[in-house]
Amino acid sequence: MNPVDLKSVGAGFSELSFGSQAVFRAALHALSHPGRPVDMVHDAEVPTQGHAAAAALLLALLDPDCRLWLSPSLAGSDAAAWLRFHCGCVLVAEPAEAQFAWVAAGDEAPPFACFAQGSDSYPDQSTTCVLEVSGVVESTAELDPASWRLQGPGIRDLVSLRVEGLAPSTAATLLAERARDHATFPRGVDLFLASPRQIVGLPRTTRIALEG
Amino acid sequence: MFHAFDSHSANPHGERAQWMALLARAPMALLDPALGQHAQGAPRWLRPPETGLMMVQGRAGGTGERFNLGEVTVTRCALRLPAQRHEDAAVGVAYVLGRSHRHAQLAAVADALLQDPALKVSLDATLLVPLRAHLARESEARHARAQSSKVEFFTVARQSGTNSEDEEDGA
Repeated sequence: MNPVDLKSVGAGFSELSFGSQAVFRAALHALSHPGRPVDMVHDAEVPTQGHAAAAALLLALLDPDCRLWLSPSLAGSDAAAWLRFHCGCVLVAEPAEAQFAWVAAGDEAPPFACFAQGSDSYPDQSTTCVLEVSGVVESTAELDPASWRLQGPGIRDLVSLRVEGLAPSTAATLLAERARDHATFPRGVDLFLASPRQIVGLPRTTRIALEG
Repeated sequence: MFHAFDSHSANPHGERAQWMALLARAPMALLDPALGQHAQGAPRWLRPPETGLMMVQGRAGGTGERFNLGEVTVTRCALRLPAQRHEDAAVGVAYVLGRSHRHAQLAAVADALLQDPALKVSLDATLLVPLRAHLARESEARHARAQSSKVEFFTVARQSGTNSEDEEDGA
Protein backbone atom coordinates (compact mmCIF):
# COMPACT_ATOMS: atom_id res chain seq x y z
CA MET A 1 0.00 0.00 0.00
CA ASN A 2 1.38 3.38 -0.97
CA PRO A 3 1.43 6.06 1.68
CA VAL A 4 -1.23 8.64 0.96
CA ASP A 5 -0.12 12.24 0.68
CA LEU A 6 -2.34 13.80 3.31
CA LYS A 7 -1.70 17.37 2.18
CA SER A 8 -4.46 17.16 -0.39
CA VAL A 9 -6.91 15.37 1.90
CA GLY A 10 -9.73 17.40 3.41
CA ALA A 11 -11.55 16.78 6.67
CA GLY A 12 -14.57 14.51 6.88
CA PHE A 13 -17.82 15.32 8.69
CA SER A 14 -17.13 17.69 11.58
CA GLU A 15 -19.34 15.51 13.81
CA LEU A 16 -18.65 12.02 12.55
CA SER A 17 -21.76 10.23 13.76
CA PHE A 18 -24.27 13.07 13.29
CA GLY A 19 -22.90 13.95 9.86
CA SER A 20 -22.96 10.42 8.50
CA GLN A 21 -26.36 9.71 10.05
CA ALA A 22 -27.86 12.78 8.38
CA VAL A 23 -26.49 11.67 5.01
CA PHE A 24 -27.64 8.10 5.61
CA ARG A 25 -31.12 9.42 6.35
CA ALA A 26 -31.06 11.32 3.06
CA ALA A 27 -29.99 8.15 1.23
CA LEU A 28 -32.85 6.17 2.83
CA HIS A 29 -35.25 8.93 1.88
CA ALA A 30 -33.98 8.89 -1.70
CA LEU A 31 -34.38 5.11 -1.99
CA SER A 32 -37.86 5.10 -0.50
CA HIS A 33 -39.03 7.78 -2.93
CA PRO A 34 -37.37 6.78 -6.20
CA GLY A 35 -37.00 9.67 -8.60
CA ARG A 36 -37.34 12.39 -5.99
CA PRO A 37 -34.24 14.62 -5.74
CA VAL A 38 -33.04 14.81 -2.13
CA ASP A 39 -30.80 17.61 -0.90
CA MET A 40 -27.51 16.53 0.61
CA VAL A 41 -26.70 18.67 3.62
CA HIS A 42 -23.24 18.05 5.02
CA ASP A 43 -20.14 19.89 6.19
CA ALA A 44 -17.39 17.63 4.88
CA GLU A 45 -14.44 19.15 3.00
CA VAL A 46 -15.09 17.21 -0.18
CA PRO A 47 -12.33 16.52 -2.72
CA THR A 48 -11.96 18.67 -5.82
CA GLN A 49 -12.68 15.76 -8.15
CA GLY A 50 -16.24 14.48 -8.25
CA HIS A 51 -19.52 15.93 -7.10
CA ALA A 52 -19.92 16.90 -3.48
CA ALA A 53 -23.17 14.98 -3.06
CA ALA A 54 -21.60 11.75 -4.36
CA ALA A 55 -18.55 12.20 -2.15
CA ALA A 56 -20.62 12.81 0.98
CA LEU A 57 -22.88 9.84 0.22
CA LEU A 58 -19.93 7.48 -0.13
CA LEU A 59 -18.23 8.97 2.93
CA ALA A 60 -21.29 8.05 4.98
CA LEU A 61 -21.85 4.60 3.47
CA LEU A 62 -18.35 3.13 3.21
CA ASP A 63 -16.36 1.37 5.90
CA PRO A 64 -13.19 -0.76 5.95
CA ASP A 65 -15.11 -3.86 4.81
CA CYS A 66 -16.29 -2.18 1.59
CA ARG A 67 -14.74 -2.61 -1.83
CA LEU A 68 -15.03 0.46 -4.05
CA TRP A 69 -14.55 0.84 -7.80
CA LEU A 70 -13.73 4.30 -9.16
CA SER A 71 -14.09 5.47 -12.73
CA PRO A 72 -10.76 6.40 -14.44
CA SER A 73 -10.80 10.13 -13.71
CA LEU A 74 -11.45 9.52 -10.01
CA ALA A 75 -9.11 6.56 -9.55
CA GLY A 76 -5.87 8.52 -9.21
CA SER A 77 -7.39 11.70 -7.80
CA ASP A 78 -7.69 13.24 -4.37
CA ALA A 79 -11.15 11.69 -4.13
CA ALA A 80 -9.60 8.24 -3.92
CA ALA A 81 -7.14 9.35 -1.24
CA TRP A 82 -9.92 11.10 0.68
CA LEU A 83 -12.17 8.03 0.82
CA ARG A 84 -9.22 5.74 1.59
CA PHE A 85 -8.21 7.95 4.51
CA HIS A 86 -11.62 8.52 6.06
CA CYS A 87 -13.39 5.23 5.34
CA GLY A 88 -10.48 2.82 5.01
CA CYS A 89 -12.32 1.20 2.11
CA VAL A 90 -10.55 -1.08 -0.37
CA LEU A 91 -10.15 0.18 -3.95
CA VAL A 92 -10.58 -2.52 -6.58
CA ALA A 93 -9.77 -2.46 -10.29
CA GLU A 94 -12.56 -4.80 -11.40
CA PRO A 95 -16.14 -3.45 -11.26
CA ALA A 96 -17.42 -6.97 -10.60
CA GLU A 97 -15.55 -7.15 -7.27
CA ALA A 98 -16.93 -3.88 -5.99
CA GLN A 99 -19.80 -3.35 -3.57
CA PHE A 100 -19.86 0.33 -4.44
CA ALA A 101 -18.96 2.13 -7.64
CA TRP A 102 -18.51 5.83 -8.28
CA VAL A 103 -18.69 7.00 -11.90
CA ALA A 104 -17.55 10.60 -12.45
CA ALA A 105 -19.45 12.99 -14.69
CA GLY A 106 -17.08 12.91 -17.66
CA ASP A 107 -16.42 9.18 -17.59
CA GLU A 108 -18.29 6.57 -19.50
CA ALA A 109 -20.25 4.28 -17.21
CA PRO A 110 -19.32 0.64 -17.72
CA PRO A 111 -22.20 -1.65 -18.72
CA PHE A 112 -24.25 -2.67 -15.71
CA ALA A 113 -23.53 -6.29 -16.52
CA CYS A 114 -19.90 -5.64 -15.46
CA PHE A 115 -20.97 -4.93 -11.89
CA ALA A 116 -21.70 -7.56 -9.28
CA GLN A 117 -25.34 -8.61 -9.63
CA GLY A 118 -25.65 -10.55 -6.41
CA SER A 119 -27.19 -13.99 -6.41
CA ASP A 120 -30.75 -15.20 -5.94
CA SER A 121 -29.90 -16.23 -2.38
CA TYR A 122 -27.89 -13.08 -1.62
CA PRO A 123 -29.23 -10.24 -3.80
CA ASP A 124 -27.71 -7.78 -1.32
CA GLN A 125 -24.22 -8.61 -2.57
CA SER A 126 -24.67 -6.58 -5.74
CA THR A 127 -22.94 -3.32 -6.52
CA THR A 128 -24.47 0.01 -5.54
CA CYS A 129 -23.54 2.46 -8.28
CA VAL A 130 -23.26 6.23 -7.79
CA LEU A 131 -23.51 7.91 -11.18
CA GLU A 132 -22.75 11.61 -11.51
CA VAL A 133 -25.00 13.79 -13.63
CA SER A 134 -25.03 17.56 -13.88
CA GLY A 135 -28.61 17.98 -12.72
CA VAL A 136 -31.80 16.18 -11.77
CA VAL A 137 -35.22 17.82 -11.86
CA GLU A 138 -38.52 16.22 -11.02
CA SER A 139 -40.46 17.45 -14.01
CA THR A 140 -44.11 18.41 -13.83
CA ALA A 141 -47.08 17.03 -15.67
CA GLU A 142 -46.33 18.39 -19.14
CA LEU A 143 -44.70 15.89 -21.41
CA ASP A 144 -40.99 16.41 -21.63
CA PRO A 145 -39.48 14.31 -24.40
CA ALA A 146 -36.13 13.96 -22.66
CA SER A 147 -37.38 12.94 -19.25
CA TRP A 148 -37.47 9.48 -17.69
CA ARG A 149 -40.78 7.93 -16.63
CA LEU A 150 -40.36 5.98 -13.42
CA GLN A 151 -42.74 3.37 -12.05
CA GLY A 152 -42.48 0.83 -9.28
CA PRO A 153 -42.56 0.45 -5.50
CA GLY A 154 -42.46 3.79 -3.69
CA ILE A 155 -44.09 5.65 -6.59
CA ARG A 156 -47.83 6.23 -6.49
CA ASP A 157 -48.52 6.49 -10.22
CA LEU A 158 -45.66 7.81 -12.20
CA VAL A 159 -42.70 10.09 -11.65
CA SER A 160 -41.19 12.08 -14.44
CA LEU A 161 -37.51 12.85 -13.96
CA ARG A 162 -35.36 15.04 -16.16
CA VAL A 163 -31.70 14.01 -16.01
CA GLU A 164 -29.22 16.57 -17.30
CA GLY A 165 -25.66 15.92 -18.34
CA LEU A 166 -26.07 12.42 -19.75
CA ALA A 167 -25.62 12.00 -23.49
CA PRO A 168 -28.90 10.73 -25.05
CA SER A 169 -27.17 7.63 -26.41
CA THR A 170 -25.62 6.86 -23.01
CA ALA A 171 -28.97 7.27 -21.31
CA ALA A 172 -30.67 5.03 -23.87
CA THR A 173 -28.07 2.26 -23.44
CA LEU A 174 -28.25 2.57 -19.68
CA LEU A 175 -32.01 2.28 -19.60
CA ALA A 176 -32.07 -0.59 -22.08
CA GLU A 177 -29.61 -2.52 -19.92
CA ARG A 178 -31.66 -1.84 -16.85
CA ALA A 179 -34.85 -3.01 -18.52
CA ARG A 180 -33.08 -6.23 -19.51
CA ASP A 181 -31.76 -6.76 -15.98
CA HIS A 182 -35.31 -6.65 -14.62
CA ALA A 183 -35.71 -10.22 -15.88
CA THR A 184 -33.10 -11.42 -13.38
CA PHE A 185 -34.78 -9.85 -10.32
CA PRO A 186 -33.97 -10.07 -7.35
CA ARG A 187 -30.50 -9.72 -8.78
CA GLY A 188 -29.60 -6.27 -10.07
CA VAL A 189 -27.73 -3.07 -9.46
CA ASP A 190 -29.03 -0.24 -7.28
CA LEU A 191 -28.34 3.19 -8.68
CA PHE A 192 -27.90 6.64 -7.22
CA LEU A 193 -27.79 9.67 -9.51
CA ALA A 194 -25.73 12.45 -7.96
CA SER A 195 -25.85 16.05 -9.07
CA PRO A 196 -23.52 18.50 -7.28
CA ARG A 197 -26.04 19.14 -4.49
CA GLN A 198 -28.68 16.41 -4.72
CA ILE A 199 -29.08 12.67 -5.02
CA VAL A 200 -31.80 10.56 -6.60
CA GLY A 201 -32.28 6.95 -5.61
CA LEU A 202 -33.16 4.43 -8.32
CA PRO A 203 -33.35 1.02 -6.61
CA ARG A 204 -33.45 -2.09 -8.80
CA THR A 205 -37.22 -2.31 -8.41
CA THR A 206 -37.82 0.97 -10.24
CA ARG A 207 -38.81 0.55 -13.88
CA ILE A 208 -37.55 3.34 -16.12
CA ALA A 209 -38.73 4.24 -19.59
CA LEU A 210 -37.76 7.12 -21.81
CA GLU A 211 -40.59 9.51 -22.47
CA GLY A 212 -42.24 9.58 -25.86
CA MET B 1 9.90 -8.04 9.75
CA PHE B 2 10.51 -6.91 13.27
CA HIS B 3 11.85 -3.38 13.67
CA ALA B 4 12.62 -1.19 16.61
CA PHE B 5 11.30 2.03 15.13
CA ASP B 6 13.33 4.39 17.26
CA SER B 7 16.71 2.70 16.99
CA HIS B 8 19.46 4.98 15.75
CA SER B 9 20.72 2.53 13.20
CA ALA B 10 19.58 2.68 9.59
CA ASN B 11 15.81 2.65 9.70
CA PRO B 12 13.89 1.53 6.63
CA HIS B 13 10.92 3.67 7.65
CA GLY B 14 12.86 6.90 7.68
CA GLU B 15 13.38 9.68 10.10
CA ARG B 16 9.71 10.53 10.48
CA ALA B 17 8.86 7.07 11.78
CA GLN B 18 11.61 7.51 14.35
CA TRP B 19 10.29 10.75 15.77
CA MET B 20 6.70 9.52 15.66
CA ALA B 21 7.73 6.52 17.76
CA LEU B 22 9.48 8.83 20.21
CA LEU B 23 6.51 11.23 20.45
CA ALA B 24 4.12 8.36 21.05
CA ARG B 25 6.00 7.48 24.22
CA ALA B 26 6.71 11.02 25.36
CA PRO B 27 5.43 11.99 28.81
CA MET B 28 3.09 14.98 28.78
CA ALA B 29 5.42 16.87 31.12
CA LEU B 30 8.00 16.98 28.34
CA LEU B 31 5.68 17.50 25.37
CA ASP B 32 3.58 20.36 26.66
CA PRO B 33 6.31 22.91 27.53
CA ALA B 34 8.44 22.08 24.48
CA LEU B 35 5.64 22.95 22.06
CA GLY B 36 4.95 26.33 23.68
CA GLN B 37 2.12 28.27 22.07
CA HIS B 38 1.71 25.60 19.38
CA ALA B 39 0.16 23.41 22.07
CA GLN B 40 -2.47 26.04 22.87
CA GLY B 41 -4.14 26.82 19.54
CA ALA B 42 -7.20 24.94 18.33
CA PRO B 43 -6.05 22.63 15.55
CA ARG B 44 -7.91 22.00 12.33
CA TRP B 45 -8.81 18.36 12.58
CA LEU B 46 -8.44 16.07 9.65
CA ARG B 47 -9.47 13.27 11.94
CA PRO B 48 -10.40 14.20 15.49
CA PRO B 49 -8.88 12.05 18.24
CA GLU B 50 -10.57 8.68 18.43
CA THR B 51 -9.85 5.77 20.72
CA GLY B 52 -10.06 2.17 19.65
CA LEU B 53 -8.50 -1.23 19.92
CA MET B 54 -5.63 -2.60 17.88
CA MET B 55 -4.46 -6.18 17.74
CA VAL B 56 -0.81 -6.50 18.63
CA GLN B 57 1.05 -9.36 17.02
CA GLY B 58 4.17 -10.93 18.34
CA ARG B 59 6.67 -13.56 17.29
CA ALA B 60 7.88 -16.25 19.65
CA GLY B 61 11.50 -15.38 20.36
CA GLY B 62 11.25 -12.46 17.94
CA THR B 63 11.69 -14.74 14.94
CA GLY B 64 8.92 -17.37 15.00
CA GLU B 65 5.50 -17.34 13.40
CA ARG B 66 3.24 -14.35 14.04
CA PHE B 67 0.60 -14.80 16.67
CA ASN B 68 -1.99 -12.44 18.12
CA LEU B 69 -0.66 -11.26 21.44
CA GLY B 70 -3.64 -9.21 22.55
CA GLU B 71 -5.45 -5.95 22.03
CA VAL B 72 -4.20 -2.57 23.13
CA THR B 73 -6.05 0.72 23.47
CA VAL B 74 -4.81 3.22 20.91
CA THR B 75 -5.79 6.85 20.34
CA ARG B 76 -5.09 8.36 16.95
CA CYS B 77 -5.65 11.68 15.23
CA ALA B 78 -4.57 13.73 12.22
CA LEU B 79 -4.54 17.51 12.06
CA ARG B 80 -3.32 20.61 10.27
CA LEU B 81 -1.63 23.46 12.06
CA PRO B 82 -3.96 26.45 12.44
CA ALA B 83 -1.80 29.33 11.24
CA GLN B 84 -0.75 28.04 7.85
CA ARG B 85 -2.47 28.17 4.49
CA HIS B 86 -4.47 25.10 3.56
CA GLU B 87 -2.27 24.03 0.65
CA ASP B 88 1.14 23.99 2.31
CA ALA B 89 0.12 23.15 5.86
CA ALA B 90 1.90 20.03 6.98
CA VAL B 91 -0.32 17.27 8.28
CA GLY B 92 0.59 15.81 11.64
CA VAL B 93 -0.43 12.27 12.49
CA ALA B 94 -0.20 10.49 15.83
CA TYR B 95 -0.97 7.03 17.12
CA VAL B 96 -0.39 6.72 20.86
CA LEU B 97 -1.11 4.02 23.40
CA GLY B 98 -3.84 4.79 25.89
CA ARG B 99 -6.87 7.02 25.92
CA SER B 100 -5.36 10.48 26.22
CA HIS B 101 -6.74 12.66 23.43
CA ARG B 102 -4.48 15.50 24.54
CA HIS B 103 -1.39 13.34 24.16
CA ALA B 104 -2.43 12.30 20.64
CA GLN B 105 -3.07 15.93 19.74
CA LEU B 106 0.31 17.17 21.03
CA ALA B 107 2.17 14.32 19.36
CA ALA B 108 0.47 15.17 16.06
CA VAL B 109 1.27 18.88 16.46
CA ALA B 110 4.91 18.00 17.10
CA ASP B 111 4.91 15.68 14.08
CA ALA B 112 3.59 18.50 11.86
CA LEU B 113 6.15 20.98 13.21
CA LEU B 114 9.04 18.55 12.74
CA GLN B 115 8.23 18.30 9.03
CA ASP B 116 9.17 21.97 8.66
CA PRO B 117 12.97 21.97 8.15
CA ALA B 118 13.34 25.41 9.77
CA LEU B 119 11.58 24.38 12.96
CA LYS B 120 13.07 20.92 13.05
CA VAL B 121 16.51 22.05 14.23
CA SER B 122 15.22 23.90 17.29
CA LEU B 123 12.59 21.31 18.11
CA ASP B 124 15.17 18.57 17.81
CA ALA B 125 17.17 20.26 20.57
CA THR B 126 14.29 21.20 22.86
CA LEU B 127 12.13 18.09 22.46
CA LEU B 128 13.68 15.08 20.79
CA VAL B 129 17.07 15.10 22.54
CA PRO B 130 15.60 15.40 26.06
CA LEU B 131 13.01 12.82 25.05
CA ARG B 132 15.62 10.30 23.95
CA ALA B 133 17.53 10.89 27.19
CA HIS B 134 14.37 10.43 29.25
CA LEU B 135 13.42 7.20 27.50
CA ALA B 136 16.98 5.89 27.83
CA ARG B 137 16.95 6.67 31.57
CA GLU B 138 13.60 4.94 31.94
CA SER B 139 14.74 1.85 30.13
CA GLU B 140 17.95 1.86 32.19
CA ALA B 141 15.95 1.99 35.42
CA ARG B 142 13.66 -0.79 34.26
CA HIS B 143 16.65 -2.88 33.29
CA ALA B 144 18.28 -2.33 36.68
CA ARG B 145 15.06 -3.28 38.47
CA ALA B 146 14.81 -6.47 36.44
CA GLN B 147 18.49 -7.26 37.02
CA SER B 148 18.05 -7.16 40.80
CA SER B 149 15.72 -10.14 40.66
CA LYS B 150 17.72 -12.08 38.10
CA VAL B 151 18.21 -15.74 38.82
CA GLU B 152 21.25 -17.50 37.40
CA PHE B 153 20.88 -21.14 36.50
CA PHE B 154 23.95 -23.28 36.53
CA THR B 155 24.35 -26.67 35.00
CA VAL B 156 26.76 -28.86 36.87
CA ALA B 157 28.86 -30.70 34.37
CA ARG B 158 29.27 -34.35 35.06
CA GLN B 159 32.84 -34.91 36.07
CA SER B 160 32.80 -38.68 35.94
CA GLY B 161 31.44 -39.20 32.41
CA THR B 162 34.18 -41.51 31.23
CA ASN B 163 34.08 -43.56 34.41
CA SER B 164 30.39 -44.35 34.06
CA GLU B 165 30.96 -45.58 30.55
CA ASP B 166 33.67 -47.83 31.79
CA GLU B 167 31.31 -49.20 34.42
CA GLU B 168 28.68 -49.96 31.81
CA ASP B 169 31.27 -51.70 29.72
CA GLY B 170 32.29 -53.76 32.66
CA ALA B 171 28.73 -54.72 33.63
